[in-house]
Amino acid sequence: MNGSLLGALCLLLTLAGYYFSKRLYLRRQRVWFAPIIMAPTIILLTVVIFQIPLADYFQFTHWLPALLAPATIAFAVPIYRERALIKRYPLTISVGVLAGLCLGVGSSWLILHFTHMPSELSKSLIVRSVSTPFAIEATSAFGGIPELTAMLVLVTGIMGMLICDPLFKAANIKSSLARGISLGASAHGAGAAKANQIGREEGVIASLTMIFTGIAMVITAPLFALLF
Amino acid sequence: MLSSFNTHSAFIKCKTTLVIQVSGLCLFAWLCQWAAHSVHSIIPGSVIGLGVLLLLLSCHWIPEKVVNQGSAWLIGDLLLFFIPPVVAITKYKLILESYGAELIVCMLLASASVLLGTAFIVDKLFKFERKQRLNSITAQRLQLRTTLLNI
Repeated sequence: MNGSLLGALCLLLTLAGYYFSKRLYLRRQRVWFAPIIMAPTIILLTVVIFQIPLADYFQFTHWLPALLAPATIAFAVPIYRERALIKRYPLTISVGVLAGLCLGVGSSWLILHFTHMPSELSKSLIVRSVSTPFAIEATSAFGGIPELTAMLVLVTGIMGMLICDPLFKAANIKSSLARGISLGASAHGAGAAKANQIGREEGVIASLTMIFTGIAMVITAPLFALLF
Repeated sequence: MLSSFNTHSAFIKCKTTLVIQVSGLCLFAWLCQWAAHSVHSIIPGSVIGLGVLLLLLSCHWIPEKVVNQGSAWLIGDLLLFFIPPVVAITKYKLILESYGAELIVCMLLASASVLLGTAFIVDKLFKFERKQRLNSITAQRLQLRTTLLNI
């Protein structure tokens, strides 16, 4: 098949796969239909099964990741809108962000030192708990690979979404702040979506924590990188 | 007929606003990245842009409605923008096949510890802050009562 026709079809496949799973999830709220699980699976499977060359896949889809930078800037709007909430809990939010950041980097440090994974894989793991636009910016400081990082960020989000309910129950975590902040700091976007299902305040606080943890990760990455 | 025309034109107007706002944000992002690159900033341009936009909004130099729709779309469909990098992992198929199981176990343990650790710390801090607030309220009431008794 003609290369650019295949490229255009790939762009169409990506858009259709994403918006289809989004629609489906709105109608049937099953976790397996969530766009974060279903959309990448459909698209990845199609590319693998039909053995589409990556160069053709990227011919027209390469501008989609370019939108991550304006998306990062767009996070200024929710921060501005929820400034009242931030003023109400400044200490709790900042300690939560700091704790999430240190635990995330610390746990990756343990993995890096006690397992025998190839370094490009384990180094891409370090930034896994922050939202993709920030993670992709920060991963180069640690020597990680953006593509691997994007995948690990995605898997972390899905895991956080699935394990949070039993963990909160077992540890008897009831306050909305603790639930929202920990979901935002450990599972970024997917965690914020999950927190939104628990309650409105949890959702807002999780989104804010996600943004702050991302910013903090990008700013502190060169410092943390000295540890590794 | 007229109402359908009105909804149609409202739809077009809404989409045009969205496209203009997203393009504006893209241009702004590009400018910030260019500026960050030219001064060799350690902080990436997109994070600087976030700070600048927040400052502009807080000082009311630009109204929220100018970026409202564009930012809502960019944040709401964030997942779409990183599907292409995820597809690129087919390049690393061999690594993932040999270390996949180990990776999943490590990530589960690490995610659980980040989630629980953060939740535990915030929960304790929240209870401490609440207790402090309650204590200060009780102290104020006591003081008020003693003052009233003295009168």
